[in-house]
Amino acid sequence: MKSRLFSILTAAVVLAILAVQCAPETIVETVEVIKEVEKEVEVVKEVEVEVEKEVIIEVEVTAVPPPEGPEGTLVRAVSTFPNSLDHPQAAERQASTTDFQLYDSLVWFGEGGTIVPQLAESWEVSDDATEYTFHLREGVVFHNGEPFNADAVVFNWERVVASDFEYAYHWKVATSVETVDEYTVKATLEKPDALFLSLVADNWAMIPPGYFEEVGQEGFNEHPMGTGPFVFVEWVKGDHITMEANPDYWRGAPKIQTVIFRPIPESATRVAAIQTGEVDIVTRLSSEEAQSLLGVENVKVIKYPKTRIYYVAFNNLTTGLDQPTMDPMVRQAMNYAVDVDTIIDALFDGFAEPAAGYVASGELGYGAVEPFGYDPDKALALLSEAGYPDGFAMDMACPAGAYTHFEEVCEAVVGYLGDVGIDATLEIMESGHYWDLEANKELPPLFGDSWSAAGGEAFRRLTGALGGMDASYSAWSDPEIDRMLDEIKATPDQDERAALYGELQVYMQEDPPFIYLYQPVAFEAINTRVQGYNPFPFEGYDLFETWVIEE
Amino acid sequence: MSIALKEALVQRYFLSKVIQSIVLLFGVLLLVFVMVRITGDPAALMMPREASQEHVEAFREKMGFNDPVMVQFGRFISGAIVGDFGNSLHFKTPAMPLVLQRLPATVQLALAGLVMAVVVGVPLGLVGGFNPGSLVDSLGRFLALLGQSVPNFWLALILILYFAVRLRWFPSFGRDELKSVVLPAFVMGLPVMGQIVRLTRSAVLEIRGEDFIRTAHSKGLEPRTIYTKHVLRNVAIPLVSVIGVQFGYMLGGSIYIEIIFSWPGMGQLLEQAIGWRDFPLVQALAVFTSLVVLGLNLLTDMAYAVIDPRIRYG
Repeated sequence: MKSRLFSILTAAVVLAILAVQCAPETIVETVEVIKEVEKEVEVVKEVEVEVEKEVIIEVEVTAVPPPEGPEGTLVRAVSTFPNSLDHPQAAERQASTTDFQLYDSLVWFGEGGTIVPQLAESWEVSDDATEYTFHLREGVVFHNGEPFNADAVVFNWERVVASDFEYAYHWKVATSVETVDEYTVKATLEKPDALFLSLVADNWAMIPPGYFEEVGQEGFNEHPMGTGPFVFVEWVKGDHITMEANPDYWRGAPKIQTVIFRPIPESATRVAAIQTGEVDIVTRLSSEEAQSLLGVENVKVIKYPKTRIYYVAFNNLTTGLDQPTMDPMVRQAMNYAVDVDTIIDALFDGFAEPAAGYVASGELGYGAVEPFGYDPDKALALLSEAGYPDGFAMDMACPAGAYTHFEEVCEAVVGYLGDVGIDATLEIMESGHYWDLEANKELPPLFGDSWSAAGGEAFRRLTGALGGMDASYSAWSDPEIDRMLDEIKATPDQDERAALYGELQVYMQEDPPFIYLYQPVAFEAINTRVQGYNPFPFEGYDLFETWVIEE
Repeated sequence: MSIALKEALVQRYFLSKVIQSIVLLFGVLLLVFVMVRITGDPAALMMPREASQEHVEAFREKMGFNDPVMVQFGRFISGAIVGDFGNSLHFKTPAMPLVLQRLPATVQLALAGLVMAVVVGVPLGLVGGFNPGSLVDSLGRFLALLGQSVPNFWLALILILYFAVRLRWFPSFGRDELKSVVLPAFVMGLPVMGQIVRLTRSAVLEIRGEDFIRTAHSKGLEPRTIYTKHVLRNVAIPLVSVIGVQFGYMLGGSIYIEIIFSWPGMGQLLEQAIGWRDFPLVQALAVFTSLVVLGLNLLTDMAYAVIDPRIRYG
């Protein structure tokens, strides 16, 4: 009797839960939502076709003009919290893009990987490409009123070069930085480095010398300061960072009064918080999450291809030395064997782009080659020609939990290789362990990974993955590639460099060091009250142009 | 038994518990040191991928990862004794203060969860135990079943979707206002509440059948006196032990809940620290959490001794 009442109650509640889930009105609602979503998806796909060549989908033009002065509050969610707001100490992208709202560099990134003036109005490069003379903007002041001048640049360089920061080597590229006159500064490089300006743009955040000397490194970490559009207000660790408009900014005051950064590590919570309006910008959404936000009132989804390339790497340094993949024809065959488009459709709802070589769209020299495309017959023919008509067996590895759906991608690659007779045995490993093995060049002769690159050029991705024994994560060495990379490095002219990237891509298509996979798409969602927000492909953004419509 | 002997026994009991805790803490230190080091090379993770072999090696040398393991362990133990776990690799500031900074949020969440579990769970369990089969008992048992079987990450997301996104009653994340604690505390408290209901109920049922209760009835004591003096006091023993253990667990094990609700506590920090292979920070967190749990266990043991003379003199 007693236990029966309990069972009846339990059953009743279970039934009630089921009933709630199956209630007719709920069904109607669900169907409506699905319809809406489908409609929206179609619309987005149409838009995608129109703007495919552009890197960023423009935020729609609205009738609301930007305010005269700084107004309103913008809340931006970050997925991990910055370790430091001192730029050379920032450990990863979310930290360095957050802190860069406080700072300016000498130069900055323009469209399509070009370099534009920022704190330097202009610059000259010596004929041997080892001396850069920067003419600084006059009248710029730091947030504490200290003037920005050539001495400040020298101080900044000396500070970081003398430090033990992990990213100090981005400053050590210059072997000396000297004052020429109050607003002219000369940086000397040991050997030519065509990427110097993009390194400067990405890393040389200027801080006030007098203030730093007064408060010291720890004081600066607690209250950082630069010349940027926003001024540091407070940082409650793990909870929020607050910045306010810099009314004396040299480009004019920004259009938002207060910017708050909030950490939300769980993406499902970010999706909830953008819907409730608690935050105005959320990033790092999956395609499923982005689609669930289509059609939600007051929420707008934006997407752009990331400058990251996924690939399966070959090895010609250690474990791959006695493998069939030493033959370039075999490597070509394996590229033809994998149907990247189907992988993208099946796993990413079509929201990724097949990698065309190792230069990402939006980077200098992109578009010189086409993706291999899926051609299993050609793959079989190439394998026969190379002397493997019956295929061969090989080991392969991929990291677990490191990238969205990457385990499934690897499994699909194994399946496609199997179709042309290549029997790949896949081992999926914990990512920390995986990267240890990768750094020691002990991974199997086929291994999956991805590589991002900031700075508008693929150069660091190329040297990182193809730098031979000197590069931590490289399993490939080719003197011809080395030669071409050296040439790119010694060529300061952007157009000439773009052509060289093209040549290198053609070479890397004939003698591929990778199975090229895809370039992922980044999804962000913003509240519709946010205007003029344009993220860059490398997950950077500049809130100077952004404003919010106050209700 | 003389009073002096009683005191000696009590002292011996407490002393042995304290010594046990210290030995355990040492074991924890050893375990933490070893386990953090078998998961991967921190130098490889801390350095940017473009960094050359040479830079990685220089970094490893600077951090002391190249020293013999025993030297590293000696350095770790001597630092740990004074609460110095070195600088966090990721944040570049001393690790222990970073942990302590997150303590208030975690304690607030654990306390809120525990209070909810006790305030709802104990009365439900008591009523159920005294009136098995009643409506309240069935409700209590159902809630207990629910609390112990619903996965907390799922419950957390459902609560956010319903109470934050749809109804807008509570914030979906963060720790901005008092209201913020309600959803995460509910998720945290529910399984504990379930356990408390079941435990209280079965303890009451069991004790009601004991000989000494029958004796108390037969010698004509008021039922009220029997309940408060004999039953409740005996129910309190397992309850105190469960509450002590669960509170320790809540302080250390709230990683999922803190992440989903973006609650700025120690669990969230631990998850990040592990991802970054931030040895000093992981070690500081693990040792600190163990210290808290051991301290709570010690307090629980002492509470027993106060409640139950059998343990004191046993």
